[in-house]
Amino acid sequence: MKNKSKPIRNALLFFMKVTLINLLITSVSVMMAYAIDTNGQEVLDRKVTLHAENAEIKAVLSEIERKADVKFTYRPRLIQNRERVSLNVEDEVLSSVLNQLLGSGLRYDVIGKQIVLKSAEPAAMASMGTSAVNPLAITVSGTVKDEQGIAVPGVNVLVKSTTNGTTTDVDGHFSLEVPDESSILIFSFIGYTSQEVTVGGQTNLNITLAQDVQSLQEIVVVGYGEQKKTTITGAVTSVKSDVISQAPVTNLSNALVGRLPGAVFINRSGQPGSDGSEIRVRGTNTSGNPNALIVIDGIANRSGGLERLNPADIESITILKDGSAAIYGAQAANGVILVTTKRGQAGKPQINFNYNIGFNKPTRLPEVTDAPTYATMLNEIDEYRGNPARYSAADIEKYRSGSDVWTHPDTDWYGAVIKDNAMQDVATLSVSGGTNDGVKYYLSLGSLSENGVYKNSGTKYKQYNFRSNIDAKITDWLNISVDLAGRQEDRTYPTRDASTIFRMLIRGKPNLPAYWPNGLPGPDIENGDNPVVISTPATGYVDDVNNVFNSNLRARIDIPWVKGLNVMFNAAFDESFRPIKRFRTPWYLYTWDYTSYDDNGEPELLRSQRGLSAPELQQELERTSAQTTNAYINYSHTFGTDHTLALMAGTEKQVLKGNVFMGFRNGYISTAVDELFAGNQNASTNAWNGNLLDGKLYNRTRLNYFGRINYAFREKYLVEMVWRYDASYIFPEDSRWGFFPGVSAGWVVSEENFMQSVSFIDRLKLRGSWGQLGNDRMSARNVYDDEFQFANNFGFGGNYIFDYTTLTTSITPTAFPIANPNITWEVANNSNIGLEGTLLQGKVSFEVDYFSNKRSQMLITRNASIPKTAGFTPPKENIGELKNHGIDFLLNFNNSVGTFNYGISVNGGYSKNEMIFYDEPATTFPWQTQTGRPNDTRLMYKAIGVFETQADVDAYPHWSGARPGDIRFEDVSGDGEIDADDKIRMENNTIPRFQGGLTLTAGWKGFDLNILFQAATGARSYIRTQSGDFGNYLQDFADGRWTTENPSSEKPRTFNREDEYWISQDNSYWFRNTDYVRLKNIQLGYTLPSAIISKIGMRTARVYVNSINLITWDSFKVFDPETDNQDGTVYPQKMTFNAGVNIGF
Amino acid sequence: MKKLLKYYLGIALVLYSTSCSQDFLNVDPEDRFSEDVVWKDPALVEAFVNEMYRGLNHGMRELMLGSLADESQFIHNYGSSQVVQSNLTPADVGSFSRGDFDEFNWTQLYIRIRQVNLFKERIDEVPFNEQDELWRARMKGEVAFLNAYFYHNLVRLYGGVPLVRQAYELTSDFQVARSPLAECVAFIVAECDEAAALLPLSYGSGGGDIGRATRGAALSLKARILLYAASDLYNETGYAGGFSNPELIAAPGDRTAKWQAAKDAAKAVMDLGLYSLQNTGNPVKDYTDLFLLKDSKEAIFSRYFVKSRGWEDGALPGLANGPNGYHNWGGNTPIQELVDDYELTDGTKFSWSNPVHAAAPYANRDPRMTASILHDQSLWRPRPADVKEMDPVGKVLIRTVETAPGVFLPGLDTRDGPVEDWNGGYSGYYLRKFVDPTVVHEYAAAGGNQEAPWHFFRYGEILLNYAEACIELGQDAEAQTVLNQLRARAGMPAFTETGAALMDRYRNERRVELVFEQHRYFDIRRWMIAPAAMNRPGNGIVINQALSGTVTYTRNKVQDRAWADKMYWLPIDQQEMNRNTTLIQNPLY
Repeated sequence: MKNKSKPIRNALLFFMKVTLINLLITSVSVMMAYAIDTNGQEVLDRKVTLHAENAEIKAVLSEIERKADVKFTYRPRLIQNRERVSLNVEDEVLSSVLNQLLGSGLRYDVIGKQIVLKSAEPAAMASMGTSAVNPLAITVSGTVKDEQGIAVPGVNVLVKSTTNGTTTDVDGHFSLEVPDESSILIFSFIGYTSQEVTVGGQTNLNITLAQDVQSLQEIVVVGYGEQKKTTITGAVTSVKSDVISQAPVTNLSNALVGRLPGAVFINRSGQPGSDGSEIRVRGTNTSGNPNALIVIDGIANRSGGLERLNPADIESITILKDGSAAIYGAQAANGVILVTTKRGQAGKPQINFNYNIGFNKPTRLPEVTDAPTYATMLNEIDEYRGNPARYSAADIEKYRSGSDVWTHPDTDWYGAVIKDNAMQDVATLSVSGGTNDGVKYYLSLGSLSENGVYKNSGTKYKQYNFRSNIDAKITDWLNISVDLAGRQEDRTYPTRDASTIFRMLIRGKPNLPAYWPNGLPGPDIENGDNPVVISTPATGYVDDVNNVFNSNLRARIDIPWVKGLNVMFNAAFDESFRPIKRFRTPWYLYTWDYTSYDDNGEPELLRSQRGLSAPELQQELERTSAQTTNAYINYSHTFGTDHTLALMAGTEKQVLKGNVFMGFRNGYISTAVDELFAGNQNASTNAWNGNLLDGKLYNRTRLNYFGRINYAFREKYLVEMVWRYDASYIFPEDSRWGFFPGVSAGWVVSEENFMQSVSFIDRLKLRGSWGQLGNDRMSARNVYDDEFQFANNFGFGGNYIFDYTTLTTSITPTAFPIANPNITWEVANNSNIGLEGTLLQGKVSFEVDYFSNKRSQMLITRNASIPKTAGFTPPKENIGELKNHGIDFLLNFNNSVGTFNYGISVNGGYSKNEMIFYDEPATTFPWQTQTGRPNDTRLMYKAIGVFETQADVDAYPHWSGARPGDIRFEDVSGDGEIDADDKIRMENNTIPRFQGGLTLTAGWKGFDLNILFQAATGARSYIRTQSGDFGNYLQDFADGRWTTENPSSEKPRTFNREDEYWISQDNSYWFRNTDYVRLKNIQLGYTLPSAIISKIGMRTARVYVNSINLITWDSFKVFDPETDNQDGTVYPQKMTFNAGVNIGF
Repeated sequence: MKKLLKYYLGIALVLYSTSCSQDFLNVDPEDRFSEDVVWKDPALVEAFVNEMYRGLNHGMRELMLGSLADESQFIHNYGSSQVVQSNLTPADVGSFSRGDFDEFNWTQLYIRIRQVNLFKERIDEVPFNEQDELWRARMKGEVAFLNAYFYHNLVRLYGGVPLVRQAYELTSDFQVARSPLAECVAFIVAECDEAAALLPLSYGSGGGDIGRATRGAALSLKARILLYAASDLYNETGYAGGFSNPELIAAPGDRTAKWQAAKDAAKAVMDLGLYSLQNTGNPVKDYTDLFLLKDSKEAIFSRYFVKSRGWEDGALPGLANGPNGYHNWGGNTPIQELVDDYELTDGTKFSWSNPVHAAAPYANRDPRMTASILHDQSLWRPRPADVKEMDPVGKVLIRTVETAPGVFLPGLDTRDGPVEDWNGGYSGYYLRKFVDPTVVHEYAAAGGNQEAPWHFFRYGEILLNYAEACIELGQDAEAQTVLNQLRARAGMPAFTETGAALMDRYRNERRVELVFEQHRYFDIRRWMIAPAAMNRPGNGIVINQALSGTVTYTRNKVQDRAWADKMYWLPIDQQEMNRNTTLIQNPLY
């Protein structure tokens, strides 16, 4: 592979291979679409005229950058000894100018229009040094590699406090003489954090350079293109593959938590296959649908979405948070999430294999009472009702002692069903490589399996996925890319769903057996549901297999006769096929009448069938397709040397279709054949909710035009405007088109002359934006019924039966029985101002943004002002208004001490919204208005302690029938009665206002440690368990409760179901703070020394152990603090432990 | 070649940008019919009318109206305690805000009324073939009947209500005041008359139309509303504390004329000669079958069910109300006050102070009690498999049996029993009326739906309505004749009383005959006997069988109840008052 005859090209290949940012250098940035000569000769031939007298070299370089349309990249140290230069050239080629300017001490590489300055060869370097070489010098040699174990050529190696140094060769080797053992070597290279190493007694050093995440040349994906991070003027946050892959999650959305400032992630459930996080960009900006638009590899609304992409395939995820998202028009108001997958980089084939295996378990299971406590509490209910106690003291003692496990068990239902370690494993194999002039490829295969937390789990998730991203250079002016990706998501569930299983677990009476002492399953809690059975395959199965296929064909044509002009075409075809089979079978439980014994004196159990009389099968096939085609044209040009203009305009068309077909049969005589034909042969007796066969479909279309204008003056003053002219099928024909503009500007303060003397600031940029965006989603939950509100339509109603048995068809005005012919999108007016910079030579970087968003024309219903006598459910109308404002911030610090390098990164986002207009009656009490409060806040009575005694009850207004031990509601209205007047509107809902992350990284020799703490504050969650004579109590409730013997003024008495007013009526006693801090991810890795692994042919090898959600600190305690489920009836969030290897060849 | 490519490229660009025709944006919803299509197609119009029938709902939903009166207790509450304790307020209308009572729910009824108005506005533009004009007329009649039915439920609950006669659109002025009670009654009567004129007497089977409104249904509805209009509550306002708008809740006038109108209306149904009592001479079976047979001659207007339909409009009274020892849900459990009102077979009143009665309270009672109520030791169905061993016979077990000294075995069908105790009733009684004993009720959807119909109007009610008007008009002999048809069918001795005594017996007869058929809630109000009927706690029975075999019956309170006069009419929801500022709240709220 060594090819000394083409040193520049080789360096280029390496550069691209190793660079953190995986610049898609050859597939030129759409925005910076300059024609590029890959050998740099064209650049070096550019003519330059320059007059400088004793000028700062930095200023001279800047001048050249403008005049020759190039960009210099260098470490400031390189030019520190040559600060003033004089130069007079007239129309000379750049190479000549550079030689004059830099002399022999520096050399340079040209990559595109970027010129990387480097130290010259060691000899030259030494000769120009000011300090003499110590004759007693030690020779130190070694190799420099990156984190992937790839040799890094061109690394500057400098003896600290001297100018004595060298650079690594093409294999990453260096050799250098140092004065003594206390010498410190500094290794530095663009794109990497520099590292200092004390020589000590070593003569052979192996150095691993860490990538510098704040590299100046970072490229960020934006709408229909890419931009240099340095020139971005919008509020954009992104996360790269290295961060995404740090937590080996089974769902991509969970890898992003705590990483992206301003994005809120809430994980409501950990059920394998449906464990994704709700994502809110900058909190909640509407009372309607708050979901962001998801764009994968440039295509919006892709089949299958984001969650199930293989995290190992992801190159970056970018979130457009402000008005810069306006380029996505009527779907962009809630932010846009851009997902970019990996592509091949030129170079020799790289094979990577990642595997991790581990187990997961619930982060937290509710603690419930044991049998003696439960029995005692039921007796308390009897006492409060004046009934005799149902359990004698002897009974309770038996529950406590376990002396009669047949009649008086003390069952731990969770323990009986949930295991401690559900296995999961993930494997990915990828190959990438190629050549710049030919084909580049990234190919990957992956598999994932995850087991449910039930013992003998009926819940499983398996996924197989592949991706093939191919880029081919067909001619000088034509590049074609073909992306194919597919996956199979195979979800298996018991026929009783997770909410039923967990409902039975939390209700499970501890004084009933889960299993009889002889090991047979005990009776049901209700409806045949004994969770030890219904969590297993014993009830049949639901097999939900979603096959998703995404494809995209892309062509870039560099218009040969106009420099800076190119055209992009995209045609994306996505399909998904989702067969679902629900085969329900009867199951069997064992009951005992507590009186019958067999001949051996053993209790005689009765086996009986539950659930169904015979198996039944429901089978459906859902198919979706998405076709997106777009074309856009890019042009950029630099006028003179100072003015750069880039233009982009395009059009896009999208058609989304879906249909479902469903069939059902019952009456299977055997479970042996689980196919439709084997069911009841008499079709007329088959029915599932009355439908033997069913089908439905939808069709959604969008068309739009979009564009962008960028203007930059010397990369110091930046202006951008984006726009979209958007149309959607959701709106009536004459008003479906809308125009959505976004403007932003940036001022790179650090480029100003007056900032040149501020040496600790590398870069400082002030930016601001405003945009008008739309939200065209009608429904809060993407329900299809909510579309087409502009027309009066009739859908099928229920059936009515005539002639004794004839089911007649009926039609009825659809969910919104009358049209709103004026319906249109919600309008977001989003403003943002931000400051970002890097300090201390890249050691510190920061970003802070303030935003103020106002949503108008928000889709709400006039429920409060249209009387019910109107006879219709009000349709959505564009009348609501809401504002939302807050800040996002990000602060990074990276440093190294000797071979120890470390980094700290903090990010967070705070947002608070307020309803400005909401339809509510003028008579609403001030403490109840939704207007002026955050959206989605509930009315509740304000709990102010507990009536300790009857005297307390008598002394304060109370709910009719209140007694000691009941919760005291505040008489807010002051009218001496507790009634609906006294409800107050809460200030919080279940979405956190602040969410942030703290990442700590450290590396030492081959070891790396990555720790992520994540915090969320400002959310609350309601607790209302189904407790009483039909379900267990939370231990948290039982402890310290009011009883006759121990009256409490803080905790209420034992309640039964919803019989007590303070259970049936929402009140603040149960609405608890869920603020939490969580050790979201901790990972310790070790990279094996390349000297060892290279002998067995490996390029890199790393092993690691990891845990997700290991520790949580909160005061909520009862359920996982991310829940919004009030009664513990969801599959809980999970904690995982993994061990894995990354191997590269 | 390269030059040619440039041209191709240019052509491709032009083609691409022009290929984006905007027509594809006009997506018709694929899962529904547009408005224009519907009003051009009689079949779709009929489908729209079919949907309106669903607004009738039926009386066998999980919560039954009897549990809001002195018939039963609903053990899952669902807002029923607020009703029976007279705690309703404009902010809390208890069960009436729930979806259980579509037919008694203000919002749902006005949704149906808008459908009626939409139909009325558009039906004349629908192109029917000439020979199909009868079809149009029939549908007009059906809709007029349905409109009258919806309004009669509103009026029975609220008094005078807003009469809405247009299908509102989003831009309409929605402020519409309540009409006086008299005007509402007149409107209902007029709709009934229109319907009666347009509707056929009956439908032949096989035409898919049995179950549609008939002339008999329209005349029955007219008879019912006229009976109500003649009743005390509809003519008095003394209880209302100087209510500012008495015309909304009463229409004082010539009572005799009103009773005569009620009588005539009932007579008009009887004179159709189409209906007769279900009577084969076997009282228990006849009264049971009446509510299970689909084609009884006694049924005037009914809703049918098929077992394949789910909970919402399949009727599952067995699952909802059956004993917990059968894995049923208890639900609407008859209270002792109802049980006590069944006479003995000799026509005398039952009394706990009579030691013979108290020792064997279920012996020798009106056969309709056997057919309506499950009590301790009632023979019922085979037990579910897991319970069978505990009760191979299949009889209702309420009593606690002392099986050994100091060892008590609680009844299987109680809250102390071993099976689904949280679904056990408190009163010691379960509903039998409407429940098909041949159907496996436990575990809904496992073939547990029954197909018994719900009768909105049956001939028995018409006879009672007629008799009540007769008594009020002093025509006791005529009343006796008619009432004794019912007594005979029930296997009970004839009435011989007159005057007030006859009225007392009539009222008890109506209570027993029409139990759980959604009449008692209204009857105790229109007779203004609710203060007595509701101002007493709901009782149940505790039965103990000692080791000696001695059985004792003890009544115990299972539900607090109270009456307040505001409960004669429901409060209009406060939010609705806010939305429509012309509304006037009912008295005493």
